Amino acid sequence: MTTIRRFCCDDLLRFASVNLDHLTETFNMSFYMTYLARWPDYFHAAVNPGGRVMGYIMGKVEGQGESWHGHVTAVSVASEFRRQKLAKKLMNLLEEISDKMDKAYFVDLFVRASNMPAIRMYEKLGYVVYRRVLRYYSGEEDGLDMRKALSQDVEKKSIIPLKRPITPDELEYD
Amino acid sequence: MASKFGLAGGIPERRVRPIWDAVDSRQYKAALKLCTALLAKHPTSPYALALKALILERMGKPDEALSVSLNAKELLYSDNIFHFDDLTLSTLQIVFQRLDRLDLATSCYEYACTKYPSNLELMMGLFNCYVREYSYVKQQQTALKMYKTVGEERFLLWAVCSIQLQVHFSSGGVKLLALAEALLKKHINSHSLHEPEALSLYVSILEQQEKYDAALEVLSGDLGSLLGREEDKLRLQGRLLTQASSYPAASEIYQKVLESCPDDWESFLHYIGCLLEHDVNLPKPSTGEHTCPSCSVDSALSNKTSLSKELVESRLTSALSFVQSLQENNSSDCVRGPHLANIEIERQRCLNGNPDNIKLMEALVKYLHRFGHLSCSASDVEIYLHMLSNNEISELLGEITRSFDASSISANTLGSTITLFKVQELLGTLFTKSTSELQGIAKRMVDTFYKNLPLSNDLDPQESMYGEELLSMASSILVQLYWRTRDLGYLLEAILILEFGLTVRKYVWQYKITLVHLYSYLGALPLAHKWYTTLEVKNILLESVLHHILPQMLNSPFLQHAADLVKDYLKFMDDHLKESADLTCLAYRHRTYSKVIEFVQFKDRLHRSMQYISVKSDSVMLHLKQKADSLDEVESILESVSHGTKLVELSNEDSMKDLTFNEDLDARPWWTPTSSVNLLSEPFDESSTPASYRAKMCKHISNEKDGSKLKDVERKSLVPRLVYLSTHGCASFLRESESNGVSSDVTASGEMKTLLEKYARSIGYSFDDALSVVLGISSGKKAVKDFAPDIVSWMSFAVFINAWNLCSNVSVIPGTDQSSQNSWWIVDNLVKTCIDEQLTDTNQMLTSPGSNTPLLAWMVTEPISWHLLVIQSCMRSMAPQGKKKKKGGPSERPNTPHLQAIRSSVQCMADTLQRVQKCLSDQMKPEDQALDILVSHLQGTSAEGPGQITRVLDESAAAASSEIGGRIAHSLEPWSCACVMRRIVGAENETIAELRKICTSKLKLLASASASLSLVLH
Repeated sequence: MTTIRRFCCDDLLRFASVNLDHLTETFNMSFYMTYLARWPDYFHAAVNPGGRVMGYIMGKVEGQGESWHGHVTAVSVASEFRRQKLAKKLMNLLEEISDKMDKAYFVDLFVRASNMPAIRMYEKLGYVVYRRVLRYYSGEEDGLDMRKALSQDVEKKSIIPLKRPITPDELEYD
Repeated sequence: MASKFGLAGGIPERRVRPIWDAVDSRQYKAALKLCTALLAKHPTSPYALALKALILERMGKPDEALSVSLNAKELLYSDNIFHFDDLTLSTLQIVFQRLDRLDLATSCYEYACTKYPSNLELMMGLFNCYVREYSYVKQQQTALKMYKTVGEERFLLWAVCSIQLQVHFSSGGVKLLALAEALLKKHINSHSLHEPEALSLYVSILEQQEKYDAALEVLSGDLGSLLGREEDKLRLQGRLLTQASSYPAASEIYQKVLESCPDDWESFLHYIGCLLEHDVNLPKPSTGEHTCPSCSVDSALSNKTSLSKELVESRLTSALSFVQSLQENNSSDCVRGPHLANIEIERQRCLNGNPDNIKLMEALVKYLHRFGHLSCSASDVEIYLHMLSNNEISELLGEITRSFDASSISANTLGSTITLFKVQELLGTLFTKSTSELQGIAKRMVDTFYKNLPLSNDLDPQESMYGEELLSMASSILVQLYWRTRDLGYLLEAILILEFGLTVRKYVWQYKITLVHLYSYLGALPLAHKWYTTLEVKNILLESVLHHILPQMLNSPFLQHAADLVKDYLKFMDDHLKESADLTCLAYRHRTYSKVIEFVQFKDRLHRSMQYISVKSDSVMLHLKQKADSLDEVESILESVSHGTKLVELSNEDSMKDLTFNEDLDARPWWTPTSSVNLLSEPFDESSTPASYRAKMCKHISNEKDGSKLKDVERKSLVPRLVYLSTHGCASFLRESESNGVSSDVTASGEMKTLLEKYARSIGYSFDDALSVVLGISSGKKAVKDFAPDIVSWMSFAVFINAWNLCSNVSVIPGTDQSSQNSWWIVDNLVKTCIDEQLTDTNQMLTSPGSNTPLLAWMVTEPISWHLLVIQSCMRSMAPQGKKKKKGGPSERPNTPHLQAIRSSVQCMADTLQRVQKCLSDQMKPEDQALDILVSHLQGTSAEGPGQITRVLDESAAAASSEIGGRIAHSLEPWSCACVMRRIVGAENETIAELRKICTSKLKLLASASASLSLVLH
């Protein structure tokens, strides 16, 4: 049992058990607060009955025309609450908001090419590798741009994989 | 910056662009050159000047930047200015903000707005200025002016937000809510509302005035469709109906929410609360402060319904059938809410007139049968476990044990095994077991972990492995055994287990945090610090996680490490508090009104952080401690912090009120639930029952707020000022008495008295009583032990008393006259007595955790340092005159008695520090010898006593390649218990060496003082 609700600033003081995980980045304050100020519907926390933060998702919506899309910036679940599809619930919520409220064409995300557990999870959730971004992570590791089409994209054009990898400066958005 | 080029303050864009480009790429020198050229052509352009100021500020020349920007401001104010645009103003604003002169930026915009009253851009700039200054009234006025000028919805809502902030931060603003409501109503009537956030704000204005029906009406009307997600709307309606006491309607709404979100636990609790017509006490996430799961049950107990027993029964029965239908419709294991709801319903039965409800047990058993394999299942039901009687607890444990076949190897079996252990851990039932039973359990946990390792062989090395909790629990049991038996071997094994776990997978932060505490307790701080560093704690985590390491480091000899921690933390906090308002401006701009309020409240919360206030003093204290051997450097540090006055202000009553505690205490080991409590330093409590253990934990956590910590913060904030007054006061006294024979620094003396009274109060004494304690200890009439917890504070108090006595007209020591040297003697005796007490008590640090080495470090780096500063100051003030009066013999000097007292104090400090040095040298053992001593604690061969786990770990690692194989076996290849022990020896020696270094430097200082005193006196 999980209460999923909008993420609030106070959660920043209670998400240590999620963020102490070595794969979860703790960003600077203006990063979190910019997301909260601009896309409050894309930032959700899951809390357990004791009020502890089990995990959270942060994202945004951006782009123009047919590339108007939801983006998952971070999704993370504390180790105690893993293996119970919590990340899936959070992802589904973000997809629903992108789809129904913002009428976006697709949702995308970036993942380290070496992070196989995450890639497999996203594949299970219906994401496909749209393209590879060379040396996306700190100029070292490649990133995979994964996408899932939403109901606006009837022909699922947004997820037809690109034939060649791109470089970070070719990305449309940061 | 590109958008700004169109205007460019009346200067052609092509001339300005290269300057901004250079600034953006941090080529400040080049930027300045270009800007100088620009100014040559446009000498009176405020924009060009503003640019120059901006560049100067970035180059780290704040004074020049301020003067140039003031020139720009003056030009703006002059009448003959043609280009008065937002670009110039916003550039100046950036500079003023970075120079911490928000007031200047605001006055520029105010002036501009008076000159061009209907310029929207300027008004928005002015509004942002007020946001940065947290001037809510002016914000409101400016926003309303904008609203009147252009009639846009957003400006009205900016005004409403400003009203809400006034109401939140002052008591008398409630009437303003009516104004906000009226303004909104009028606007809605003519223009409606167009943003979900606007609607939420309107509803919250109504809600704050308890106009629930009106709010509900708004939601059910056309405006209600603004809320995009149906569930959000329903939840809001449910909340309003509950507040309006329309319980039947509210429970229906919550039913609807649960039908679409069956796992929404908060809504379920509201649903039950409405059925029973009371609010179920929820842990309040919004306060975010220390909460304790077992307390929340107790507090809910008092919250009974006023309904009759029969009505409660019938409503709970209907809830049960609703919940069962939810269970049937959601058969997946991912939706546990309706199953947990079953337990909650039974709990409500217990609370409301059916205390012997056996169904609560049944529900718990059923839940654990179904979800026991999940690693969070024990914590899911934690609050319910605490309601069980001892008999029920054993029954439950029996049921869980029977529910799975422990001998099979599978992820589910492992999960259930862990849950069984966890339930016992949460309930504290392990306390009642015998030593050998506990040892057996710990060993079994380690075995189970090892046997199940093959399950994780195929996982990605970064992924958390199956059964990691087992090692945490086994380690925790061993700590408990150590507490009970005081056998060091258990404590070492508690460490070994976690080190083993980190050898298997190096990322488990839970192990690392426990190790930080275990190594700190053991006196191996460098290892604690090393593990803490690997956690890479940064940004906001500093506020919630720093407590794991900082308190130990502050009083350790590792001053530089402590200073680095403090520096990073303060930088984060200061930077955020500065930039926070800019983010509020962003929320206004994006019309996210709910976050506007939230951001301001959050900034306020961090601003009032207990840790922040405390670390501000720590930072100064650390600098002083690091430079204490040089009076000149100490003086310049004090000068940079306004001689300690600002810190003193920090501890005044207003700023100490309503402090926030933002530390996340969840991950702390059970034996140190807060940084001021360490159960291992207390005697083991034989009579501990699970219930009393629980009560004790809760007490510690809730005491945190008003406990000793506040007093500590208050005391610390006084020290830098006291150090300043001490060194200053006695110096001026001695200098003057050298020339006139008598004098005193009346103001310093008066201030010192006030501060010392405050200081005494922070130890819990009146000034007079504190003085008599100090006299009592130094004369041997009172035992040091009786004042042990605050002994370092007492020593510092004596040091300051002596300094105060020196600069006072009359003696402050009862029964003595001012010229007597009693006050020196008091410090000398007190320091000697306190230190000697520690030295005679000193067991071998290596084998006695919690030894007094840290206490010695604290004594040397604080009270002794402060006293040596007083000595340095006295000597410096007398030295020059001494040279001038060469002709006179020592007997003619009015200060001779003082000099003699100083000389004997120097001697006493030197002797004392030498004894400390000697004791520390005795502690340092050759590595191999020390290693043998440690390892001997792990070599027990009998069935009882430590040693077994050590063997299990070593044997497991050796057998891993054949039994486990794969990458896990590979990772275990370098494992050896002896290596860990060697690292402990190294770390403890490093700690001793660091303290010795500090003592050596102080002894050098004392030797040179002694030499100069001999010269003067003979």
